[in-house]
Amino acid sequence: MLAISVQGLGASLGGRVVLRDISLDVAAGEMVALIGPSGAGKTTLLRAMAGLLPSSGKLESQGQPALVFQQHALASRLTARDNVMVGGLGRMGFWRAALRLWPRAEMALAEASLARVGLAGLGGRRADRLSGGQRQRVAIARALHQQSRILLADEPVASLDPALAEDVLSLLQDLARRDRLAVLVSLHQHDLAARFADRLLCLEDGCLRQI
Amino acid sequence: MRRAAWIIGFIAVQAACIWVVQPDLGRLWAGLPRLAGWIAGGFPPDFSGFGDLAARAAETLALATLGTTLAGVLALPLALMAARPANPYPALYHPIRTLLDALRGIDGFVFALIFVAAVGLGPFAGMLGVALHSAGSLGKLWSEALEAADPAPMEAARSAGAGRAQAAAVILLSETLPQTASAALYVWEFNIRASTVLGLVGAGGIGQELKNAVDLLDFSRVLAILALIVAMTLTADRLSAALRARLL
Repeated sequence: MLAISVQGLGASLGGRVVLRDISLDVAAGEMVALIGPSGAGKTTLLRAMAGLLPSSGKLESQGQPALVFQQHALASRLTARDNVMVGGLGRMGFWRAALRLWPRAEMALAEASLARVGLAGLGGRRADRLSGGQRQRVAIARALHQQSRILLADEPVASLDPALAEDVLSLLQDLARRDRLAVLVSLHQHDLAARFADRLLCLEDGCLRQI
Repeated sequence: MRRAAWIIGFIAVQAACIWVVQPDLGRLWAGLPRLAGWIAGGFPPDFSGFGDLAARAAETLALATLGTTLAGVLALPLALMAARPANPYPALYHPIRTLLDALRGIDGFVFALIFVAAVGLGPFAGMLGVALHSAGSLGKLWSEALEAADPAPMEAARSAGAGRAQAAAVILLSETLPQTASAALYVWEFNIRASTVLGLVGAGGIGQELKNAVDLLDFSRVLAILALIVAMTLTADRLSAALRARLL
């Protein structure tokens, strides 16, 4: 079953056409790797699919996709748990969020998300006191906390050493296999992409081709 | 050529200021013995009725502290509206920044003068004056800290469906806490110093005692009050510096 489908997507940045006529789809339970050189438009494509950039074309998805940002994008002074809760802000009122009076059910969900990425018991630790790999896992837990069926990950292992990179990709693969999430991950490393993804797509000069 | 123009411009501005102020070294020279006589006559400082002096000093401390707290309460929403990443109503960005500049532009002393006329003599008027001026300063400093914060966590929150104000309240306020708390402490410390003269316009505090002593040419008392002011401001400076060091 298709979780997200893009037809004829195009996007421009600062008047420059970055993506042309992109079509792709990702099914539930599938992990697809998007590879390509720097500047090929991988980040732009993921951001357009997440609705963070204006784009043309047709996009159909089972709900709003959750995006795992390059370089974590965590709030460094918040705890791992509070960072995960950020993924659920859309479900909360202003004052409850501003005063960080998290609903009990949301707390339980956040703890479950942390446990799912292997960080059970680390919820109370501040983000700037976590290792690089742990931060990336918190970023994934934050995306899981959005309760989306689609996970878009923008170079999630770019800043990690090879062992940690494999751990994170293995986690994303597991989320696709066991939790039946549709995972689209952009990567620089072809070997890792080939090892962990079900399918590889190559983005070059704003155009997509299947490998 | 450019440098020469700068130097000529600087000299011209200074010359214009001298023409307006009309500094007179002869008058200073003539006044120095009088000043020295007052200082000499002030020894030993008169600390009699220390309880009253201490109560006035405490009044200064209290009005500065409460004024800074009220300023913080007023400044927080203004700072959020004056920071692009946090402002949910972009049309209000420039008007709010102009309001902050206006509040900052009017000294707390002037505000106190107006509030004395409006609410009567005493520290309440002084506290209101301090609060309004400081709300402008804090709002400006805080909005700059909010604008300089890393935008990535905010974008992550927005992409997860958070509203701009909601994301700012959760993320930006926590990320900028060291800078905003440090600014608040700096403004508090400044307010304690500035509040020592509010008594001159009847807005309470130790300045009232100072004015009375100067009016009576009671220099022993003046010296005692100045010593107390120095002790109070130095203590506040040290405390503020220690707290800021912990925060940063």
